[in-house]
Amino acid sequence: MSDVFRRIEIPIAITIVCTLLQIIPFYVNIQPLASTADTFRSWMILVATCATFVGAISLTLYNVKAIQRRSEDWYYSILVIVFMLAILLFGLPIPEAGLGDQNPQFSFLFVNILTPLGSTMYSIIAFFITSAAYRTFRARNIEAAIVLVSGILMICKNAPVMTTFWGPFVDIGDWIFDVPNMATMRAVIIGTALGAIALAVRTLMGMERGYLRGGGEE
Amino acid sequence: MVDLFPIWITVFFTLAIYTFLYRENLWFRLATAIYLGLATGYSITVDLKYLRDQWSGMWTSSGLMMTLFAFAILVGLLWYFRFSKKYFYLYRWPLAIIVGTGIGMAMRTIIFAQFLTQIQGQVGLPLYVAGDALGSLNNILIAVMVPCVLLYFWFSGIGARREGVAMKTIDTIARYTMMAGFGSAFGYTVLTRYSLFIGRCQYLLGILPNPPEARMAFMVVAAVLLVTLFGWDLYKKTSS
Amino acid sequence: MSIMEKIQNIDRRWIYLLAWVAVLSPLLNPLGLPVTIGRDSTRYYNYITDVPDGSTIMVTFDYGISAMPELYPLTIATFHQLWSRDFKVVVIATWNQGPMVMDVVLGELNPAVRYGKVYGEDWIELGWVPQSETGMAALGTDIWGTKPVDYIENRQTSSFPIMQNIKTAEDIDLLISFETGTPGLPEWVRQWNVPYGTPIIMGCIGVMVPEVAPYLQTGQLGALIPGLTASAEYELLLKRPALAIAGVDAISMSHLLIIVLVIIGNIAYFMTRGKGGS
Repeated sequence: MSDVFRRIEIPIAITIVCTLLQIIPFYVNIQPLASTADTFRSWMILVATCATFVGAISLTLYNVKAIQRRSEDWYYSILVIVFMLAILLFGLPIPEAGLGDQNPQFSFLFVNILTPLGSTMYSIIAFFITSAAYRTFRARNIEAAIVLVSGILMICKNAPVMTTFWGPFVDIGDWIFDVPNMATMRAVIIGTALGAIALAVRTLMGMERGYLRGGGEE
Repeated sequence: MVDLFPIWITVFFTLAIYTFLYRENLWFRLATAIYLGLATGYSITVDLKYLRDQWSGMWTSSGLMMTLFAFAILVGLLWYFRFSKKYFYLYRWPLAIIVGTGIGMAMRTIIFAQFLTQIQGQVGLPLYVAGDALGSLNNILIAVMVPCVLLYFWFSGIGARREGVAMKTIDTIARYTMMAGFGSAFGYTVLTRYSLFIGRCQYLLGILPNPPEARMAFMVVAAVLLVTLFGWDLYKKTSS
Repeated sequence: MSIMEKIQNIDRRWIYLLAWVAVLSPLLNPLGLPVTIGRDSTRYYNYITDVPDGSTIMVTFDYGISAMPELYPLTIATFHQLWSRDFKVVVIATWNQGPMVMDVVLGELNPAVRYGKVYGEDWIELGWVPQSETGMAALGTDIWGTKPVDYIENRQTSSFPIMQNIKTAEDIDLLISFETGTPGLPEWVRQWNVPYGTPIIMGCIGVMVPEVAPYLQTGQLGALIPGLTASAEYELLLKRPALAIAGVDAISMSHLLIIVLVIIGNIAYFMTRGKGGS
């Protein structure tokens, strides 16, 4: 019996049914089907939300193994687990017990630790982009020169000191945005839409199975 | 002192990340480990709050809805068979639901949103705009550039043979168009990254509405971190 | 190694130090450089100005703490313009940190005191909508069902006076989105603009700007604030200079630094290439 459940055709069939359940009511006005699709969407969100502990379990297993084996820098693994459990405990949605997003400890962890860390993590790229621009941004050939010139002109447009120095930087930057950039992105959008449609058709035909891989078996 | 503590903690963690600019070090790894734990834990709390809030809504309106809610939780538990070698196949079922629904949601309108409307926008561009020579030229350029870039990535049919003059010209126009577009993307990327950095600096310098006490914390914490980094390097150099 | 080669191979930490100086100096000693108001900020400002009083506007936080430095000033300025008018404002988030960012906005703006806005009558916050595009679609079909309780008071959404006539996307007159990636504009266009015709305007981080240009050209996106510089212009239009304007000098200096470094790097490259160097 379990061999039947193992068959890959079951999740493929589920995928096809769920896909058609969302597409058909949009084009064909069958009210019971539309209501079912709407309810199913909300139901599916519940199912997806239940996966919330998967990442935490993976992280915990990895870090617990690192601690057990006394791997290099294993003490950082303790920090990962401790802080994860701390914010999880204080953030549990039980306002009756004083926990949740109004909990002072939760607010402290979020506002004073998570927020600066999150903001700073992405801002550090500014330095790398500066260094990379200095070391590698070279007009080696025509294409590179075009990238360089258009990049510099856009930087000039975004810098008020440059637009004050010479007003036409704004118009030139707007032109680059409206013409070559828009043309490139329009082609990309159309191309990705075609690719997405092809992917959907392949999925509906059961030919696309990449998302079902894993577990050491097909 | 109690009010200053959160500010000093915020400044410390901000600067701990920036110490990576000197080299990888203990402060940076400490900060990233804590960030990883907090970010993971935070995601779980918001998910759990969502589930709890949902129980207050339509899922308690009737016995059938309550059953559906319970069934959703049961199906949701199948996710955790991801960690089982023997029953891994059960993990694919909720995954199939998510993937199928997601594809359906995107596909039903992508044809309009990203295909037909864009083509209408392209075809609808007037090649001649009375009294606006630049506008006319821009529209002509777009009318040429978009098909060229599309054909640049077309590898079957007419796109299979690229040696002819026509295809070489199309490829050249496409490359130049894309390079100009990527340059524009670079310019905006610089803006974003520096905007993020400037925002952090505004906090570190205590520029309103950020707390002014942060500036003193910035100076002290920066000095301490730099002393530890340089001091450690000096110690390693002299002891080796 | 020649001087030009040394210049090209300079330790990157000196460049990092230059970046610190370029940003900290104008923040400590503002230069007061003039800011030219461009077409993007004007269009965004006029778009909201032209919305009739009494309209229902949904504001969505499609960003989290990582993008706060760039989008927070715009968010504050937009809420100032919205709460200065007679709009019904519904706040949601498609990024799970969005509600926490809104908490910071509330702390700064205090709509009840500063604008006389009553929670539940003039505005409401519904919180995070999970599962990105599917969640957006579910929200468009049934706002009450997708968000049965509000975020601030934890009461039934249907019990608030503001929500009595707001049940689906058809009841929303304008969607204002602050974005940093996915989910974002393409998803909103697919799930709200195409099925319901909901007009959308947005502010986004600079990185996202190039990819939304086609939507702007077709009218699927009504107006766009592309990054911090345009946010500063928007603050000037509102006559409310704040964080964005305070950062504009630093943007100028940092961008000038990049331009100078790229020019120096290329001069050094061409001179060493000319001498047969690498």
